[in-house]
Amino acid sequence: MWTGRGKTAIVGVGYSELTRNSMKPLGVLALDACRAAIADAGVRPEQADGLATYPDAPFLGAGSRDGQDIVSVVYIINHLPLAPDIRWYAQIETGMIASPVIEAVHALLAGACNYVLIWRALHQPHGRYGAWSSTRATGEAQFMAPYGCTSIFQWHAMAWRRYMHRYGATREHLATLVVNSRRNANLNPRAFFYTTPMTREDYLSARWIAEPLCLFDCDIPVEGCVALVVTTAERARDLRNPPAYVAGYGQNTSRRRTLFHYALDDYMACGGSLASKLWSSSGLGPRDIDAAELYDGFSPSTLYWLEAAGFCPQGEAYAFIQDGRIALEGELPVNTFGGSLSEGRLHGMGHIAEAVFQVTGRAGQRQIRDAAAVCAIDGSPMLRGSGVVVTKEQ
Amino acid sequence: MTNRQGRPLPVADDLSQPFWEAAKQQRLVVQRCRECGYFNHPPRPACDACQSQQLQFEPVSGQGTIYSFTVMHQPNVAGFENQIPYINILVELEEQPLLFMVSNLPASDLDKIKIGGQVEVSFEEVDPDTALPQFRPV
Repeated sequence: MWTGRGKTAIVGVGYSELTRNSMKPLGVLALDACRAAIADAGVRPEQADGLATYPDAPFLGAGSRDGQDIVSVVYIINHLPLAPDIRWYAQIETGMIASPVIEAVHALLAGACNYVLIWRALHQPHGRYGAWSSTRATGEAQFMAPYGCTSIFQWHAMAWRRYMHRYGATREHLATLVVNSRRNANLNPRAFFYTTPMTREDYLSARWIAEPLCLFDCDIPVEGCVALVVTTAERARDLRNPPAYVAGYGQNTSRRRTLFHYALDDYMACGGSLASKLWSSSGLGPRDIDAAELYDGFSPSTLYWLEAAGFCPQGEAYAFIQDGRIALEGELPVNTFGGSLSEGRLHGMGHIAEAVFQVTGRAGQRQIRDAAAVCAIDGSPMLRGSGVVVTKEQ
Repeated sequence: MTNRQGRPLPVADDLSQPFWEAAKQQRLVVQRCRECGYFNHPPRPACDACQSQQLQFEPVSGQGTIYSFTVMHQPNVAGFENQIPYINILVELEEQPLLFMVSNLPASDLDKIKIGGQVEVSFEEVDPDTALPQFRPV
């Protein structure tokens, strides 16, 4: 078991508005979320002396203007009055947003700073997701763009098709996950689809994006930001919210078998490289987890995680999610806040925020019973990601 | 496929030039490591498996199986707007597990696509200087 288990805690969560087309630039939304997280934690802005983010835009070519397309550490230092002397920062380039949380934990354990502010700001660029406009295809794209195969959802579609073929899953099976997430979002006032219900028929009749993925298999792109405040367990005890203790973490450190984008074959080994560390560091296992917040940039990724993290055997997730098992009142509630599919594309930060809300009893109408340990995992298992387990008790 | 107006064309670079030169002559070659025998595609400056720089292009059979496929409905890629919906297949070459190439298939072939189905290479001349390897059901 990890020596740092339970020695740090997430003590504040802040959201900006989540909209399709905000009137505010992304930098201002990030400041909204950061101020909200600091206020939620009940600390003074000048106490925040550590900063961490994962700033990447949602896809290659989406832009990199600081304060508009991304929000960097430098942007926050220049625009948000915090501690007069920021003592530590980290800007992570791989591993998605749980990785800066992990770095913040390390910094706190090392005594580098006392209160770390972490944010994830997501810009929703105009135009189509991942559109390709050049007539010249260079680099690896020279083997994809001439075939019209440049979008990440085409690759996800091919992985999911392979999964369906291998295990006998169908769209009807996957509908259960997507509709369950929407039902949870209808109980989450922050969710983009808070007031929009979805039936199985809505899902099954939705337009195709790349078969067998339809519109509702893709997360809903939003403009917005979520921020967290993390501190030591000792300091957390004196603050206004119950702490969500960081019990363990894991990063995807696998060596992939193919480097030309990815293949379904990698999902168990790659996802397993993250999950094994999540469980060994926390001393917990899938059976100890009361709710699982599992990345769903594209819906099949959640199924892959259920298997790769050991919640069910390989090839059985599509059956496991049926019969109410992943509903709020089920055996293993999944994506209790609506996921990226229905809350909004926050690249996994929504998942971490919800894990905090659940173990601290702050999830409102979607609060599950006896939430002692909740995990949040970012990224599709074939790609770089990371995850954390948070607990109610230290 | 017809009407290639405005579609992306591959821009050969130092690493990929032998691949595209061979394709123009209707030959499929893949970069292979002389040290460990691993096929690298896309071509690399050093072998993905053993990091050797002793790499050379070698003819392959052009035979493979369909690993997976998708029917694309979004007009995301310039020049493909009029082709929608179009098919992409991911071909696993017989020479090595998970050695992939992307291909198109005519929409009329949709009912012939089966995961695990055999395909073989053919070449689509997309301009006087460029031919794309395209795989077709056997």
